[in-house]
Amino acid sequence: MASVHMEMKDSAVSSSKWLDAHYDPVANLYTFSSCIALADLHGDGENKLVVGDLGTGASNMKLKVYRGTGLLSENTLLDLPTGLVSFLMDQHEPCTPAIAVASGPFIYIYKNLRPYFKFTLPTLEVNPLEQDVWSQAREDMIDPMTLKEMLEGIRDKADIPLSVRSLRFLMLEPQDMEAYVNLHKQQPIRRQTVITCIGTLKKNMADDDAVSCLVIGTESQEVYILDPEAFTILAKMSLPSVPTLMDVTGQFDVEFRITIACRNGNIYILRRDSPRPKYCIELSSHPVGLVRMGKNVVVGCAQETLHGYTQKGKKLWTTYLPAPVTTMAVLDLPTRGFQAVLVGLANCEVHVYRDKNLISTIKTPDLVTSICFGRYGREDGTLIMTTKGGGLIVKILKRTAVFDDKDSAPGPPIAQSIRLNVPKKTKLYVDQTMRERENAVAMHRAFQMDLSRMRLAAARAYVKALESSLTPMSASLTEPLKMNAVVQGLGPSFKLTLNIQNTAACRPVMNLAISFLYDENLYSMRTAFFKIPLLVPGLNYPIDTFVECLSDKGISDIIKVFVLREGKSAPLLTAHINMPVSEGLALN
Amino acid sequence: MGLFDKLAGWLGLKKKEVNVLCLGLDNSGKTTIINQLKPTNSCLGEKNWCHLLQAQAQDIVPTIGFSIEKFKTSSLSFTVFDMSGQGRYRNLWEHYYKEGQAIIFVIDSSDKLRMVVAKEELDTLLNHPDIKHRRIPILFFANKMDLRDALSSVKVSQLLCLENIKDKPWHICASNAVQGEGLQEGVDWLQGTD
Ligand SMILES: Nc1nc2c(ncn2[C@@H]2O[C@H](COP(=O)(O)OP(=O)(O)OP(=O)(O)O)[C@@H](O)[C@H]2O)c(=O)[nH]1
Ligand SMILES: [Mg+2]
Repeated sequence: MASVHMEMKDSAVSSSKWLDAHYDPVANLYTFSSCIALADLHGDGENKLVVGDLGTGASNMKLKVYRGTGLLSENTLLDLPTGLVSFLMDQHEPCTPAIAVASGPFIYIYKNLRPYFKFTLPTLEVNPLEQDVWSQAREDMIDPMTLKEMLEGIRDKADIPLSVRSLRFLMLEPQDMEAYVNLHKQQPIRRQTVITCIGTLKKNMADDDAVSCLVIGTESQEVYILDPEAFTILAKMSLPSVPTLMDVTGQFDVEFRITIACRNGNIYILRRDSPRPKYCIELSSHPVGLVRMGKNVVVGCAQETLHGYTQKGKKLWTTYLPAPVTTMAVLDLPTRGFQAVLVGLANCEVHVYRDKNLISTIKTPDLVTSICFGRYGREDGTLIMTTKGGGLIVKILKRTAVFDDKDSAPGPPIAQSIRLNVPKKTKLYVDQTMRERENAVAMHRAFQMDLSRMRLAAARAYVKALESSLTPMSASLTEPLKMNAVVQGLGPSFKLTLNIQNTAACRPVMNLAISFLYDENLYSMRTAFFKIPLLVPGLNYPIDTFVECLSDKGISDIIKVFVLREGKSAPLLTAHINMPVSEGLALN
Repeated sequence: MGLFDKLAGWLGLKKKEVNVLCLGLDNSGKTTIINQLKPTNSCLGEKNWCHLLQAQAQDIVPTIGFSIEKFKTSSLSFTVFDMSGQGRYRNLWEHYYKEGQAIIFVIDSSDKLRMVVAKEELDTLLNHPDIKHRRIPILFFANKMDLRDALSSVKVSQLLCLENIKDKPWHICASNAVQGEGLQEGVDWLQGTD
């Protein structure tokens, strides 16, 4: 053991928030968070770890107590434990807590680690028909085969289910039936339910050393609250489904809240003086962990999500987890005013969440099946985990550890989840929206009509431009030409360069001429008409000419360029050159 | 004469104040040790008389904050700062590092679980600017050696990695503060340091 201890210490990261106090990979401890508790069993200020060990298979169920790194005591349990809590039964000195272990229909109470009391759940109503057939069997009026048939008939249609005795009988091979009937027929039939979860509820004081009632959930969809000393039933409440996880807060005599996750995937919130649930939370997948954080409830779901809810069932947030949840526990450090949720994950990590923010990640050598945080020995911030392979891990939160409230999970930045301060909708906006909603069809039609008109106008203008060769692209198939113009200079003299290209594949073009049209009061050109040479396909022909601006009034105009073919009056193509304003002074 | 009388002699600090810091986790036995080290005769003031009664009655309660024990021997005036080891008071320790001329660090050798915590606190102490570059002697008591599941002083020094302390004189000895065993050995060592 000591060598493991040393190893862990060496591998520990110095910046970690946790000290590795103990790791025993072969502690032979198989349990869940519901069966683990920390309690000052001996009243010496040193908390012990109490574990309901489920053992392996159907044997080796034990109540184990650890002190520090070692096992202090072991008691054999008769049946699988479903829950374990420590609670104060009375305030007699010495004030040491009792341990309650729920298993089957019983709660075994231990005081000073010795069996003290056994509570049995009240029996359930037995089906009168079932009672009838068994009494016939007792009188030997029917043989085992007939008994079997009659019981099967009852099982298939009765609303009150059969007792365990009858169900067992129906599973027997024919040769074993007679002996079974003879063994049991004299005893009265009892139908019993089993405990599915257990919690504690302070009786009438909130102090740490106040007496607590036991709260139990049963397979028969009921919740019982038991008196701490007499173990009488103080209250009974019904649920629409079988409870699986439970959180209890408040005081029995004042006001309390029992938050229960059920097998139907809902969470119900029970309150004092209401025999039925007060609120219901419908989850989208099954709850696998439930803890309370202050006034809120945090639920881990089977779909790898973690949700926060108010105590009235209003959803606050959702976080997506990287792996399925194995178990959950609350990290409560009242001395430092710090609370968080511990989530054990199937990827061998334990995540610490504060609200929806991941604030710390602990890697574990094995899959964690149970988590318990609290005072162990004399250390307040102790994290105890047991693993699937039966290991025990103890970590201690460093005195100097600080958690940033920042989310360390990769993902969208926090800014994304900040609500924008969107202004209220104005009356105008609302009116417009109403109008749009009411006249949607008419508005759409008007729009479509205008769109069609615009397309028509555009098409007409295009056709007209093509017909009159007003574009710098020639549309004729025999003379496919392209032209662009560049104006250089500040004025009053400008250089005008026309780039002409024959875009045909192989046919040259000849007998072309260029002519300019301009306002003669504004501009003068040395030559306003000239011939252009033969155009070889694909080559660019730059043609320069000079324009003189005659005005010094800072005005400009358009110069039109026409490319003409000899003997035809309509131009092949047209370009409009927007002349720049002359910035230089007119000569002379 | 108490043990500190002898200490006075060999520290060679005649008529001088010696400040000793007594550190360690809560419940390690610091107050019990100090009570044992105090002179047992009644030549002292009223205050110490009370403590004497306490020690005799074996009625030592957890220290709150810290308590200062002053006692004079024929040649020396001792001031022992008995610091509380409880987590919430441990941040007080560092305020007294400057004045400290020697440190007694007490470990509950039966508390295996918290050995890491003791190591963490020791490392924090050794790395503190007021301690780091001083050749201040540190005496370790692996206390409660009488308990059945106590670790040996060798094991304790291994777990605390004491071999890494290179620039300060240190010594560890197993002790039983209730019976006063082992305390003499530790004090004898301190005598040799000065
Ligand atoms: N068995 C045994 N018990 C001891 C020994 N030394 C101290 N104790 C007991 O341990 C308990 C705590 O001792 P204290 O002296 O109060 O411990 P402390 O270090 O001063 O604790 P704080 O003041 O809380 O920091 C007391 O009940 C002592 O009787 C020892 O050597 N053996
Ligand atoms: Mg003390």
